[in-house]
Amino acid sequence: MTILLLLIPLSLLLLGAAVWAFIWAVRKGQFDDLDTPALDILREDPPPASQEPPADAD
Amino acid sequence: MAQAAAATRPGARDAHGAPARATGACFHCGEALPAEPVLAVVGGTRHPFCCSGCAAASAWIQDAGLSDYYALRTANGARVDLDPAALDVWDAPSVQAEHVRAVEGGCEITLIADGMHCAACAWLIDNALAREPGVREATANAMTGRLRLVWDPAATRLSQPLQRLRALGYTPCLATGAAREQAKRRERNRDLIRIGIAGLGTMQAMMFAEALYLDTGNTMSGPMRDFLRWITFLVSTPVVFYAGWTFLSGAWRELRLRRPGMDTLVATSTLLAYFASVWETITHGPHVWYDAAVMFVFLLLAARLLEQRARRVANAQVDALARARPVFATREAGDGSHEAIPLAALEAGDVAYVAAGDTVPADGTLLDAPALLEEALLTGESRPVERQAGDTVLAGSIAHQRPLRMQVTATGTGTRLSHLIRLVEDAQAHRPPLARMADRIAAWFVVGMLLAAAAVYVAWRVHDPSRAFEVALALLVISCPCALSLAVPAALAAAHGALARDGVLATRPDALQRLAAATDVVFDKTGTLSDGHPQLEDIATFAGLDADAALRIATALERGSRHPLAQAFEAAAQARGLQVPHASDASTQAGLGLAGSIDGRAWRLGRADFAAGREDDGRLWLGDGATAFAAFRIGERLRDDAPDATRALRAMGLSLHLASGDARDAVARAGEALGIADAHARLSPEDKLARVRALQGDGRHVAMVGDGINDAPVLAAADVAIAIGDGAALAHRSADLVLAAPVLGRIPRAIALARRTQRITRENFAWALGYNAIALPLAALGWVTPWLAALGMAVSSLTVTLNALRLTRRPAA
Repeated sequence: MTILLLLIPLSLLLLGAAVWAFIWAVRKGQFDDLDTPALDILREDPPPASQEPPADAD
Repeated sequence: MAQAAAATRPGARDAHGAPARATGACFHCGEALPAEPVLAVVGGTRHPFCCSGCAAASAWIQDAGLSDYYALRTANGARVDLDPAALDVWDAPSVQAEHVRAVEGGCEITLIADGMHCAACAWLIDNALAREPGVREATANAMTGRLRLVWDPAATRLSQPLQRLRALGYTPCLATGAAREQAKRRERNRDLIRIGIAGLGTMQAMMFAEALYLDTGNTMSGPMRDFLRWITFLVSTPVVFYAGWTFLSGAWRELRLRRPGMDTLVATSTLLAYFASVWETITHGPHVWYDAAVMFVFLLLAARLLEQRARRVANAQVDALARARPVFATREAGDGSHEAIPLAALEAGDVAYVAAGDTVPADGTLLDAPALLEEALLTGESRPVERQAGDTVLAGSIAHQRPLRMQVTATGTGTRLSHLIRLVEDAQAHRPPLARMADRIAAWFVVGMLLAAAAVYVAWRVHDPSRAFEVALALLVISCPCALSLAVPAALAAAHGALARDGVLATRPDALQRLAAATDVVFDKTGTLSDGHPQLEDIATFAGLDADAALRIATALERGSRHPLAQAFEAAAQARGLQVPHASDASTQAGLGLAGSIDGRAWRLGRADFAAGREDDGRLWLGDGATAFAAFRIGERLRDDAPDATRALRAMGLSLHLASGDARDAVARAGEALGIADAHARLSPEDKLARVRALQGDGRHVAMVGDGINDAPVLAAADVAIAIGDGAALAHRSADLVLAAPVLGRIPRAIALARRTQRITRENFAWALGYNAIALPLAALGWVTPWLAALGMAVSSLTVTLNALRLTRRPAA
């Protein structure tokens, strides 16, 4: 059972890392808007490089 | 063929001879189409639009390659205003001083984008503004309605991207200032970090507690057990004292005020479980309850966060807008001319002009004529107050019915309104009355629990002194009323979330409770049951006035009033290319019409008996009070979903009424079409109020649905008020609920949800109290083992939460 003396402090370290990562994410505004970024992946095409409509589409 | 849109305006009933289809909705904003929709080819398909503004916005979206917006959106776009508002004022240093922060690579401003309703809107704004030259970063948040914009002042002026925003149908409004926006963000982030730490800490503490629970045969060595307990102690401490700080400080506040409530109950339970565990750890006792303490903190924080989130959404969209200070003030120069200036440029000593229905921009003294001021925001009094020249007028009050002139004495943060807004924000943190009922229950629960524990301790001292402390402690921990504290917040969180998803914003905490009790629904007609966009159908002229002249005068009079009719006249005048003169001394006679003078001549526009001294015939008359000069016939259409909504409401057992200021035959037609027998026409705001009061006198609970300034008093008087989202800000302020988009079908759904919420809250209370009624005697008899206690607490909390979550499901249609 002595392995627990190693594993438990290790789990505490992981906990500390998780808390740090969470705080970092909050501070960086990762949780500010949970809806809009989700839509980006639903887009079909990358936006065209220029706003000029093609002179003749086809 | 090219993708570019070719917009045509069939104003001359020509070209395509497209049959003016009255059915159908605008491709962009979803509003019902006018008789002659604008047809435009967008993306190769011809779509109908309600106005050329919407058509232009849609064409731009298509050309910019952002047409995915139409596939992604869950709510219709905002109607694009044709009126090109001057946005130059946003470039004024005086406006930017308070709202713009210098950041790396440019300037940053947070503003409110009015009309942004769904995530696709935010997506569209992000992408559209990012294409504007000079814009470094644009982040729109549909949840809060805010837009953060970083731009390079060397490359562009702020008004350029805002012009684009405006062209897409979103109106920029000033948010509450850079410092306060930052503070709000910090507070939200702190709450998130608290719940994150509570969640992570709870999971770890549970894991260690599990190890201790699984040691059923007491085979674990003493040192190992103590080691696990000390580790649990280490993990639990930040959860109880950092994440749970809101409860601890709340309890301290309640105790200082000698009014123990929910926070006291929560703090007592948490601290008891925690310190009892510490005691057991130090004295090597049999049980620890760290897991109970941290789980409790976590669950409560989660419920509180969800409820706050739902209400924050509602308030961010409605309240912020309603409270957003006007961007402009109208200053009157020495020669009597009016000039729109940024609010911040208004100084003490200036003379400001306030149009009817507008908000007074600063504190000041009323000049010349007496004015009617609605000061509900300031005093809570919903009736307009008559003020004489020389009286004080306060920023945030609303000029009722007629415009006013005032001498400014205090501006900005010096006004009483600024002070009040701070007070309102403090008050907003208060819990709803339903939860206050829970507070009352909580107060006697704390007292009862402590008395019971004392009694049990004494009884066990007599019976078996060695177990007395342990049993009393177990009783306190077990009665730890997780379920009781969760009963209301969980139900409210779920219900507010469901409401907001359906596009109904509850602005007041007790809105749901009030809505559930409604027995009668009173509808306004114009703008509520009808689409609020009246059309001028016909002009008849008399006494030598030609139609154009009559239209010019009527448009001038209507200008400055917020009645939907004003738009009909504006549109008609614009279609004929008329120059509209300026009307002075314009005033609104509620329920009668408008009066004013043009080029020194007095005119009246309104009911026949008011304007032309004739019998009222439902037409709008222009005259001088005695002689008739012109009569306008105004037509309007009922909203498409009005029949379905009224049918659904009747099916729910609600009595429907129609109270309108409109003409008899128009109201009768609407009443007949919707099957509302109790339809009253020609009601002044006072008459409407009397109608609602009469219903209330009969013991009915009245839900009022309205949109205009004239509905504001009756909305404030009704038991529960529902305002239509595109109505006047004054109506929003009087309302408990605001429909984000004018979809009447949401009203019966909201009422059904409110009724279910009430039922589920009662069930939750019954369950929570029932759990304690069973657990307490068992604990008092010393029969409760630690694992049984943990199981009981978890199951009761989960039951209450899951029961509340049923509210988020849509009922089977």
